[in-house]
Amino acid sequence: MSVTTLPHDPTRKQAHRKRRLSRPIDMAFSALGIGLAALVLWRIFNWAVLNAVWISPDGTSKVCRGISGACWAVIDVRWRLILFGLFPFEEQWRSSLACLVIVIVAILSCLPRFWRAPRLAGLWIAGFVAFYVLMAGGIFGLTSVAPEKWGGLTLTVFIYAAGMLIGMPTAIGLALLRRSTMPVIAKITGLFIDGIRSLPLITILFTAALIMPFVLPPWLLGDKIWRVVIGFSLFFAAYEAENIRSGIQALPAGQEEAAKALGLTYWQRTTRIVLPQAFRNALPPTINQFVISFKETSLIVIIGFFDVMASGKAAFGTGDWSFAWVEVYVFVALIYFVFVFSLSRYGAYLERRLRVGQH
Amino acid sequence: MGETAIQITAMNKFFGKFHALKNINLTVGKGERIVICGPSGSGKSTLIRCINRLEEHQDGSINVLGTELDDNVSHIDLIRREVGMVFQHFNLFPHLTVLENCTLAPILARKTARAEAEGTAMKYLERVHIPEQAMKFPGELSGGQQQRVAIARALCMKPEILLFDEPTSALDPEMISEVLDVMVSLAADGMTMVCVTHEMGFARQVADRVIFMDKGEVVEEGAPDDFFSAPKNDRTQKFLNQILSH
Repeated sequence: MSVTTLPHDPTRKQAHRKRRLSRPIDMAFSALGIGLAALVLWRIFNWAVLNAVWISPDGTSKVCRGISGACWAVIDVRWRLILFGLFPFEEQWRSSLACLVIVIVAILSCLPRFWRAPRLAGLWIAGFVAFYVLMAGGIFGLTSVAPEKWGGLTLTVFIYAAGMLIGMPTAIGLALLRRSTMPVIAKITGLFIDGIRSLPLITILFTAALIMPFVLPPWLLGDKIWRVVIGFSLFFAAYEAENIRSGIQALPAGQEEAAKALGLTYWQRTTRIVLPQAFRNALPPTINQFVISFKETSLIVIIGFFDVMASGKAAFGTGDWSFAWVEVYVFVALIYFVFVFSLSRYGAYLERRLRVGQH
Repeated sequence: MGETAIQITAMNKFFGKFHALKNINLTVGKGERIVICGPSGSGKSTLIRCINRLEEHQDGSINVLGTELDDNVSHIDLIRREVGMVFQHFNLFPHLTVLENCTLAPILARKTARAEAEGTAMKYLERVHIPEQAMKFPGELSGGQQQRVAIARALCMKPEILLFDEPTSALDPEMISEVLDVMVSLAADGMTMVCVTHEMGFARQVADRVIFMDKGEVVEEGAPDDFFSAPKNDRTQKFLNQILSH
């Protein structure tokens, strides 16, 4: 299906204006609405820009006393805490570099030229090794930093990237297993997916962090951060598996039959015919799931991790800055917005790109 | 007829409790052209879909080119590589170009080198008169063109046998002849063909044998001249009256 855009048509514009502004009552409502919006925007602008204090020369909140605008000085003083959490101060360049590595790897893997399994795998393995070396240290003369000290935006980005990276292949596996021709396998997978979906993410994270140590043998336990990543990715995978399955169900039966008739094996059919088309069908809900998951990373605070949200709270938590919570939340919201909005726009780009050749 | 291509013996097929194919016995020789006709629901599509295991038979045996069609996956794969199929709804892969549609299976299932597979694909696309569409996607082609690509895609596997499952039923009337022309030229080259079709003109022109099915049974079979001019069975007579009267 192609979207036909109507050519610019002046008569349509006139008709539109006529409908909106013909009667005095319409005009009055329009004027009222526009006026109200302008007023709100003006007040926000006043607060955020005109009357705002941007920096604090002495590092205290004294500059913000008695002002009517925003006290952005809190960000000036506390931005390192928000971005890096409890990571040792002198080593924070490592945390920022590690965060940058993951973001760059994520951006690179969005480019079509990297869409080859070996390239993507190589890219992400290299990315995570670099991240881990930078964050944990202990080699190359870097002092070692325990994962409990990782925090802020870097931790959010790490949990998210690792969760998605483990979650996506798991989701594909679950979707395929649920469509297995063997009823036992399909049923068990279905129960597993529905079971995970029936639990709140918080309980899964809680179980991964605090219950697992009682259940698993110590050699299988690993670090808490990895258990949390795995819990997070399982939760994502349960939802995403159903998105992918819906994409597979949408394929006409003839696609798989034609591939069978050509002598392609199950894996050849799955990787070359079924999944590429299923991904395209499942793209809108998949982007949705990625966006939701980014925001869900803030729940890891429940098990004692300082993600960007929690470290933001810490930034205004001390008495000195406790009045500046709006400013900090606006700053954190902006960070989320940058990530999630780019993700959404990338999704829209993918949809346009993949529409090529779709009938 | 020389060697046997397909040997179906006492084959039965059930969909749950429904007895879809009843005691089918059919032998197709190499190079033979068979047309299967019959009213809808008679089991003709199911029959040819059993030949490459798109449907599983429950009873009796099917032997294709000397390989027994059983639960052994390697037997199934072997038979599918040697038996091409053309579908009513084309079933081209919409996310691949016409050329990729034609080269995918030779590269993956036959391990042909890409350059060679592309050469073969262009040869067969020329054979079906659409080499200029090679870089387009299936969605950009007409129905008749898509069906010709589907035939070229099947030919690229260099199959011994081609199955046609109502290849012209989903086409607009003006596109039927371009597809039939290709099928006639394949028949002239000695391809073993089993066609489910309502194109009686095609049956008269190229078939060695016409098989009439009804209610899951083979009711009558014979050379096209005898079949059309002197059908023995009442049901055949009735069917032919219905489809030839207008």
